Amino acid sequence: MRKLIFVFSILLSLVLAAFVTETNFQFVIPKGFPKPVYDFKKNPLTHEKIELGRKLFYDPVLSKDSTISCATCHSPFTAFAHTDHALSHGIGGKFGNRNAPSLSNLAWGSAFMWDGAVNHLDMQALAPMSNPVEMDESIAHVVNKLSHSHTYRKLFFDAFGDSTITGEFVLKSLSQFMLTLVSADSKYDKVKRGETDFTPNELHGYKLFQKNCSSCHTEPLFTNEKFENNGLYVDATLKDSGRMKVTHNPDDYLKFKVPSLRNVQYTYPYMHDGRFKTLTQVINNYMGGIQQSATLSPQLKKGISFSEMEKSDLISFLYTLTDTAFLHSKIHNSPR
Amino acid sequence: MFALTPMRKTLFTLLLLLTGFFSRAQSEKEITISIQPKFQNSALELGKKYFTSTSDTIQFETLRFYLSSFSFYKNEKQVFSETNSYHLIDVSAEKTLTIKIKVPASLQFDAIHFNLGVDSTTNVSGAMGGDLDPINGMYWTWQSGYINLKLEGISSLCNTRNHEFQFHIGGYAAPNNSVQHVILKTQSSDSIIIELPLDIFFIETDLEKINSMMIPGNEAIELAARIAKLFRIK
Ligand code: HEC
Ligand code: HEC
Repeated sequence: MRKLIFVFSILLSLVLAAFVTETNFQFVIPKGFPKPVYDFKKNPLTHEKIELGRKLFYDPVLSKDSTISCATCHSPFTAFAHTDHALSHGIGGKFGNRNAPSLSNLAWGSAFMWDGAVNHLDMQALAPMSNPVEMDESIAHVVNKLSHSHTYRKLFFDAFGDSTITGEFVLKSLSQFMLTLVSADSKYDKVKRGETDFTPNELHGYKLFQKNCSSCHTEPLFTNEKFENNGLYVDATLKDSGRMKVTHNPDDYLKFKVPSLRNVQYTYPYMHDGRFKTLTQVINNYMGGIQQSATLSPQLKKGISFSEMEKSDLISFLYTLTDTAFLHSKIHNSPR
Repeated sequence: MFALTPMRKTLFTLLLLLTGFFSRAQSEKEITISIQPKFQNSALELGKKYFTSTSDTIQFETLRFYLSSFSFYKNEKQVFSETNSYHLIDVSAEKTLTIKIKVPASLQFDAIHFNLGVDSTTNVSGAMGGDLDPINGMYWTWQSGYINLKLEGISSLCNTRNHEFQFHIGGYAAPNNSVQHVILKTQSSDSIIIELPLDIFFIETDLEKINSMMIPGNEAIELAARIAKLFRIK
């Protein structure tokens, strides 16, 4: 009898699995990309969960006074960065102390925030939600607010088979939406796939990039996912020590997470505190502005020099990282 | 194509659970572990004003902590370990003070092992539910990681705003891992009482000097160890 029940339950779970895959979202690893870091087995993507995450991402209900959504600082039209805001601001116009990075290819990220303070994509949303200058809210209260909404109870039920909303479900669905923000269709990608060619200037820029920049902004993600000191001077008011804040290790002083350069044309202002407005300023800084210090990354110690021509070619290449399809994607945009 | 409605999904899951239950039920029993935080020889009460021998006052407002990875040992060998073993103990929520663990009916043991805190693997594995849901307020938001223990209150000894003390003890990454392994000798029994008398903690911790802890580090580990060694079998 017991054996029968066992066989029966195995059969049942097989049937169940077959049904559930119907709504599964197939995460496609773009050609040439490495294996994602995110463990999809722990949070398998489904269309319902992604849609729910998308709605949450654009919903100011996540902030205390319902004025700020994730998209306030991470706008889809600028690759989910906070354009024009050096230091992103949130609740009541209060300023934070860091620049909002663009969000793309997060499935390949192993640590989040400029100093890597967040160890998993799922946990990222907790930081802005509870930051008094960002959304000034708590996950417990957000869940409470969502539980009072008929619409959300239904959406959670559709996504998780359970209308009891939990912190876990909120975080996992936000992750699901963010995981779908894959940018891999820029001109650079098309060239790599053999669909088009660089112009001679872009090609020259690409060579300069590979020689001087790739060790940190490594293809195809354009980040090595490491923490490096790229020689910025220390801002006297912010005094941001970077990675050392998290590790308390002096070897990490002034090291910041290497940002991806995908869509960099639109993610200005640049650097963790948004100190540079243009790519020309960034490149000038790599040439003449490098501050020597004990933790400066060795590849930048001896200095880089470019002619005006080379600078402009390098920028032409950086523009090939613009993924127009990503910037205008309807499925990434606000559901309303 | 047939899409499985959530309703049907839940039904299926229920069925599965039921079949699982019936096929395993006979050979199992339940061990009840009750956790009893104490102060001055009786059950610790939140909000009560205690007077110390030096006529200072201590009043507890929060005592919450994670106990995890329960396992049973016999002759130094592990004989059973609870899977998915994470229990958030909260003195303000009576029912969290009782932990029920399903074990094989024949289980014999002479020691219980558990951790005070949440292991580092779980700390880096993303969003969790149940007792590990960040909604419980036991998760740091500015820097990822569980708070293994929260002990908060008011004492005349504290020269702080409103005389508050606030210990949030956590840290999972080496060298700041604050999880404490606890081993308690006991006899096989289906009902076990684990006491946590906190008096000694306040003898060893001078509230005048240290009354706040909010970050991982050596001091947090030291405080965690001071508490972990106080667990005892009644
Ligand atoms: C007030 C502006 C603001 C709001 C609102 C905001 N963020 Fe951010 N976000 C930032 C800033 C600034 C950073 C970088 C912070 C740092 O490094 O200290 C950041 C970082 C991130 C990162 C890390 C990216 C990386 O590559 O390291 C993710 C992911 C993210 N935010 C997602 C979200 C989500 C999801 C929400 C909504 C729940 C949200 N953000 C709301 C400003 C904001
Ligand atoms: C030693 C590693 C390293 C090298 C080499 C390097 N970078 Fe960077 N780059 C970084 C780090 C780290 C940051 C973020 C620094 C910060 O904000 O504090 C950064 C930031 C940037 C940014 C700003 C991106 C944003 O969204 O804010 C741009 C643009 C950039 N680098 C371009 C380049 C170019 C072009 C080169 C080659 C000339 C180059 N980098 C070489 C490490 C490096």
